[in-house]
Amino acid sequence: MSESGPTPREAQAALAEANSQAVRLRHADHQLGWIVLGIAAMYLAVGALMSTLQDPRRGGPVIGSAILAIMVVGLVGLVIVFLRIRAYSRTGILLYFGGIGAFGLWNGIVVGVSITTRWWALTQPSYHFGVSVVVAVIPLLVAGWLILRR
Amino acid sequence: MSHPRHALDDLLAHPVRFSIAALLFAASKVEFSFVRDHVEVTDSMLSKQVSLLEQAGYVKVDKGFVGKRGRTWLSLTREGRRAFERHVAALREIADSLPSPAGGNQ
Repeated sequence: MSESGPTPREAQAALAEANSQAVRLRHADHQLGWIVLGIAAMYLAVGALMSTLQDPRRGGPVIGSAILAIMVVGLVGLVIVFLRIRAYSRTGILLYFGGIGAFGLWNGIVVGVSITTRWWALTQPSYHFGVSVVVAVIPLLVAGWLILRR
Repeated sequence: MSHPRHALDDLLAHPVRFSIAALLFAASKVEFSFVRDHVEVTDSMLSKQVSLLEQAGYVKVDKGFVGKRGRTWLSLTREGRRAFERHVAALREIADSLPSPAGGNQ
């Protein structure tokens, strides 16, 4: 280092600059949060549609097309957002994959419990499916909230 | 005890390189254009400064493609992280030597 180092005020300004760059990066992480919430929204929309069916096994052309549209539009949207990501932090990416992983695990548990307790059965009303979806997406909602609040 | 300025890193003392390192320190990976936009420098200026940081072993450059578009990702190496931490610690020490407004020079 040269003999004339920064003055205390210059050092403070440099530290403020470092802090502002860190804040910008955290804002960039928000895209990961929106992706996680987007996945949750897709599941919730499908769950809501399924809940309106008289008999989920039979479905219907309108509901079927609507679910397909939600999945296609949702997935295309998520891929576009994902490709637009230009920066991410270690914490952001950990929360993102942690949320997705926890959702996969938790969703499996919810499905298993719904079947074994006969919460999902031919004789049960359709809204049971929607309730299970609401419970299943909790890890995604938590991960999305944690990323966005940073 | 030596003055904290001796602990400053010559390479990171440059304001543009310091901003680049500060952005990368908070990140896992950052795309070249994101750094350019947030540090507010031209492509050529950023390339030059990144090359210097890369030569010092502070920055890792990864090139890839998304479709037909090339993308360059930057990240700090472990050595770069350590150097930045040491540099910031020295800056803190220097900044702390500033008298508080309550005690002082009006």
